[in-house]
Amino acid sequence: MLLQQILNGIMIGSVYALTAMGATLIYGILRILDIANAGAYVAGAYFGWYIYLKTENLVLAFVLSMIITGLIGVLIHRFIYAPILSKPRILPIVPLVASVGLFTLTGDLARLIAGPGTKAYNVDFGVDVINIGKLTIVPAWILIIVLTALLFTVLWLVLNKTKLGLAWRATAEDADIAKAVGINTNSAMALSYILGYGFAAAAGIMVGILYNSITPALGEVPSYKMLSIIVLGGLGSPVGTVIAGLFIGLVETMLSAYNLTFIPKDSVAFVALILVLLIKPSGLISKTNKI
Amino acid sequence: MREIVRIEGLKMYFGGLKAIDNLDMSIYEHETLGIIGPNGAGKTTLFNVICGVYKPTDGKIILNGQEVQGSPPYEMARKGIARTFQISKPLYDLTILDNVVAASGIHEYTGIRSFFKKSHTKEVLEKVHDILELVGLSEIEHKKAREVSLGYLRRLEIARALATEPQLLMLDEPCAGLSNFAINEITELVLKLKEQGKTIVLIEHNLPITMKVCDRIIVLNYGQKIAEGTPEKVQNDKKVIEAYLGEEDED
Amino acid sequence: MGNYLITVAVNIAVFSLLALSLNIIIGYAGQSMMGHAAFFGIGAYTAAILTNKGVNFWLALLVALVISGTLGAIIGVISLRLRDDFLAITTIGINFVLVAMFQNMKLFGGSLGMAVKPLILFGKRATAIHFLIILLILILLVCMLIRKMNRSWFGLALASLRGDEGAAQSFGVNTSQYKILAFIIGTSIAGLTGGIYAHRMTFIFSSSFAFVVSISILSMVVVGGVGTIRGPLVGAILLGAAPELLRFADDYRMILYGGVIVLMMRFQPQGLLGENSFVMNKIEKYIIPLLKRKGGESNA
Repeated sequence: MLLQQILNGIMIGSVYALTAMGATLIYGILRILDIANAGAYVAGAYFGWYIYLKTENLVLAFVLSMIITGLIGVLIHRFIYAPILSKPRILPIVPLVASVGLFTLTGDLARLIAGPGTKAYNVDFGVDVINIGKLTIVPAWILIIVLTALLFTVLWLVLNKTKLGLAWRATAEDADIAKAVGINTNSAMALSYILGYGFAAAAGIMVGILYNSITPALGEVPSYKMLSIIVLGGLGSPVGTVIAGLFIGLVETMLSAYNLTFIPKDSVAFVALILVLLIKPSGLISKTNKI
Repeated sequence: MREIVRIEGLKMYFGGLKAIDNLDMSIYEHETLGIIGPNGAGKTTLFNVICGVYKPTDGKIILNGQEVQGSPPYEMARKGIARTFQISKPLYDLTILDNVVAASGIHEYTGIRSFFKKSHTKEVLEKVHDILELVGLSEIEHKKAREVSLGYLRRLEIARALATEPQLLMLDEPCAGLSNFAINEITELVLKLKEQGKTIVLIEHNLPITMKVCDRIIVLNYGQKIAEGTPEKVQNDKKVIEAYLGEEDED
Repeated sequence: MGNYLITVAVNIAVFSLLALSLNIIIGYAGQSMMGHAAFFGIGAYTAAILTNKGVNFWLALLVALVISGTLGAIIGVISLRLRDDFLAITTIGINFVLVAMFQNMKLFGGSLGMAVKPLILFGKRATAIHFLIILLILILLVCMLIRKMNRSWFGLALASLRGDEGAAQSFGVNTSQYKILAFIIGTSIAGLTGGIYAHRMTFIFSSSFAFVVSISILSMVVVGGVGTIRGPLVGAILLGAAPELLRFADDYRMILYGGVIVLMMRFQPQGLLGENSFVMNKIEKYIIPLLKRKGGESNA
């Protein structure tokens, strides 16, 4: 049923958008692709799982996990990326390789600490499914869609209505000029990490609840899918990321629902990325023509 | 004098912006041609079109009787058009010497065949040492490019361009951002090259220097040629004065 | 040598070849290749499928080399249109997608893996020591090849490409052509290595070519020293032997790799033995003068 698939697609797409948002916010300011963001997704899922296991309080699990992961993000920026990026004339692969290293590190830390096996989330919503006409809705879907909408609203408000958000937008536009006119670019960077890693953590928990399982390999697929989405969404554009995330979620769901996949489902985003890059190498944006 | 380059009806549009609009000009052998104009006049765009960085929207660039417009930069370089960059582009990992050796291999980069040909041969090193001597980089030839100052990097740019044995040497603001002392040194160098009979095209913001070294000057404004002639003639041209005054007003 | 030592040595030799070949793409040409293990896998599966069908081992190796090199050329062509970070994502993605294909397609044996017909050399089944000899000869050849490259115009073209593409083009380097060539050389060596590896293992799984393997190879290059011959070799030996020496720490291997990569990028992005690294500076300061003094005395 089409409506059912659309709903499914929106739900998956919301998670994608949320996961990719962190990478977008970080790219917007630092101009690096932070693959470690997929590590934050894993870390967040595990923090959330542990907190929920101990407290059975889902709200607390979300809030605490997002805060802890966000703060870790700030520390990673402060002690790893910032010093690397401050060196003159580094090869562009240096921060990227560092982020790949961080990503590997997180997945394996999760395996060592929590064990290699699957962990179940077992969140009890009271009902298994809600049937509205022919439509079948799993309670977790509502949670995901509502929470994603809420988080994006918060993000929009922070970026557009606060002084810090103004600093963020100015730094994203041109970091040198922003610095020159006295904007605190460091706080903009910290904002990117705390929000970026926090959002990834929330996405990790959502996926854990949705499939009722998390594993240390949770971040593998998102690591490149999320990057495909931020490129499709026009690198550094939060709105574009939401649209691209929903788009990929819908396309994937439709293709597998109607058995149109001749490639593994998880490659859809990636194939879309290659097509876009080949047709429009700069990604989907080209703001300026250089003279 | 023999005409090396002729440009006919050259247009370079970026969307609605006409960076170069219907330009005709020639470059003659052994001359030093200055290209001046206020900011945004299209000087650097013109350079980039001649060097193959941009494909012109329309028009012809004729090098020794052959149409060459639209060729990629490496082809233009092999055909004899060498350039320097205003923002120096040294190979930071390499020594000054290796930077110039790399440039002297202009006709050696033939793909897989270049694997089987040694680069630092005696002849190559001799040639490169002569160039380093000429531009005054001999003493620091073993330093990495990342360790030397901007003044030296500008000379390195010129050395690399010379190593390609060009017919036409295009210098993009070689004095920009340098101290007076370094400016004098670069000016001396350009005069030395001129004495050797090199054909030089120079973009330079520093008007006194342009007037001092150039035989002929072309003035651009809004992508069009507004004056052309000897430094004296151009200096007294009403349109040129207006163009430059206009710029000062805007500032 | 005991069997165990030979097994470890073969493993190190395989990774030396992979690290040396990745270094051509990353260290010399400066291209962000993050999916080297995919090409290792392409070579392994190609050679395995062929010899299983009765094709001669050496011919199968050659085909493995050609096919992985051809696919490498395609990545090279894609790289022309992508900036560094996009290329990195693309190659990571290719690694994941290929492993998914190895795992899911019948042609590659599916999730159970694939048996490979054992190699018969001189009428007998080849043992680890034979493979070690083949691999060592190859390492020697590849090192000589890179040395030759470094002294040729080809090497300068790659250095220019890595340094600044605009500058490289300004003195006649067709940067696109050299990028593609670097990818072809690097990936075809990886494919060749894969072909040998498959016959050594006689059974291959998709997981041997996963993204984490690409990361292991990458760590060897960056730990040893990007853009040198000694670097990848030392990196492969150090990181290849470490899990064996620290058997008890096998569980910590990926953490070790991840952590080491991060620390190296943070403090010594040029690698332990890269140019201007802490170790090399010390060697230049203390050891080279020592050697020179000895040389001077013998001359006098």
